[in-house]
Amino acid sequence: MGKEELREELLKQLHEGVVEFDEDKVREAAQRVVDEGLNAYDAVMNGLASGMQEVGELYDQQEYFVPELLMCADALYVGLDILKPHITLEDLGDKPKGQVVIGTVQGDVHDIGKNIIKMMFEVAGFTVHDLGRDVPLEKFVEEQLRTDSEIVALSAMMTTTMMGMEKVIKMIKEKNPNVAIMLGGAPVTSDTAQLFGADGYADSAGNAVQEAIKMIGRLREMQAK
Amino acid sequence: MTTMTPKERVKAFFRREPVDQPPVFSGMGTVTVQAIDKMGIRFAQVHGSPEYLAESAITSAEMFGFDGIVVPYDMCTIPEALGRGASLYENAEGILYPTVPSKWATLDDVDLPDDYSGIFSQGRMPVVDEAIKIAKDHDGGKLAVGSWVLGPFTMAGQMIELDVLLKGLRKDKERVEGFLSKMTDLVIAVARHYQELGVDYMNIREMGSGTDLISPRMWKTLIKPNMEKVFAALESPKINHICGSTDLIIEMMNDCGADAVSVDQKNHVAESRNKLGPEAMILGNFDPYGTLVQMDAKDVPGVIKKCIEDGVDAVWPGCDIWPDVKKENMEAYVKAVREYGKTG
Repeated sequence: MGKEELREELLKQLHEGVVEFDEDKVREAAQRVVDEGLNAYDAVMNGLASGMQEVGELYDQQEYFVPELLMCADALYVGLDILKPHITLEDLGDKPKGQVVIGTVQGDVHDIGKNIIKMMFEVAGFTVHDLGRDVPLEKFVEEQLRTDSEIVALSAMMTTTMMGMEKVIKMIKEKNPNVAIMLGGAPVTSDTAQLFGADGYADSAGNAVQEAIKMIGRLREMQAK
Repeated sequence: MTTMTPKERVKAFFRREPVDQPPVFSGMGTVTVQAIDKMGIRFAQVHGSPEYLAESAITSAEMFGFDGIVVPYDMCTIPEALGRGASLYENAEGILYPTVPSKWATLDDVDLPDDYSGIFSQGRMPVVDEAIKIAKDHDGGKLAVGSWVLGPFTMAGQMIELDVLLKGLRKDKERVEGFLSKMTDLVIAVARHYQELGVDYMNIREMGSGTDLISPRMWKTLIKPNMEKVFAALESPKINHICGSTDLIIEMMNDCGADAVSVDQKNHVAESRNKLGPEAMILGNFDPYGTLVQMDAKDVPGVIKKCIEDGVDAVWPGCDIWPDVKKENMEAYVKAVREYGKTG
């Protein structure tokens, strides 16, 4: 098997392993990528992340639901743990390395959507500062200032806690208008996101995957200018 | 001219008898900031005092002309009584509902008593009991008093980390089923306790089980059998409420043994009415936040009319009313229900 053929085969296995939440398959393929000296970053982006993108689509089509999404995420992490130490600065090349502050707002202890988004940012090579859940609003502002992160991602599962998001956005944008704000959670709509002054939103764990990919892409375009 | 008390109206509605005017009530919290302000207290204070809990519910109902009140407001009283704690956010600015701070991290950590009779003296459980009694006695017992308990699956999600529970449905099915069975007994014990205290209707909120989270197939095998058990153990009137996506499971919901199903704005009620037929009792389904907090008051009647035209038997908000409502929107909502709702 030629090197390109092997690459294709392993990317396919990583992709399928994530979609089928087959941790063994992902582990085996990721290890072979390392053993054969293939590009780990390529394997993460075009194997694991592309698998997760399909998972997001399956969720939108109501073929997969949250339990499946979580198991796919577990499979992805198995591969990421093996591949990440082998990603070199050279692999990332001219792609800017960003930072994200992420958390679930105060009053909300739901963190499934937040953890999925966090995973997608990690996959894309971002440094993620995870504040956890039930996070006091001012903590987001402090952490953004401390780390100078380009993105702040806020999650709220309930309408009752969503209101906190508007305050955080105002506080952050006042101090640093260039920070991109991403909102996530069941009650968030495009209208709310716009009203609150956010730059992106996702209303389910499934489309959070797509939205994170889009936002990462947009950010890279902005930084490339 | 009204000829029934609010309680008589709600009770007649559930017996499917004619009413003098369409009832305005809910199966979820209906407390408003207007009532909290009038009482001169903060929202965080209502959860720990029977007097504040009852009075804030009663004041809200009387200010806007509701037929009933619903207590408690928060979802933590039972997990708290079982040792999981409750964060009340006493110092937080604005309105935050209590949350459970220390859920069990794994199924191995679950530690439940063999019988639940001891929990009613724990945590804030006595506060809720007392609030129900105060509300029932208020003004000669004119107001209907409703209560609710989370469904077994949603209750489980308040006790144990949700991702452990959700993955366990696939990976550790037997143990998760055992845990859900214990939650079913817990839900029955608490709901029956409130019925023994004399609440006029009981709403079981299995709100974490919509198809945003789990598949219809999983709902059929893991949620439905437990909900059937719950409703078989309860007196009427009893309601099966789920918020979020319910179009795919509405027929199964209606088949669990409750007297009515309650859904939120994500349900296409006109289609649900077609699927369930004219006999089914459907409650719902306006978005309380969008309608009562965000919208212009002039647009509220249109939302209420749409619920009725789609086929609800009584207009219910799809979830708790977010306390920070606009006064004029609440008034428009109550007026529209009275004007356009069904009387028999």
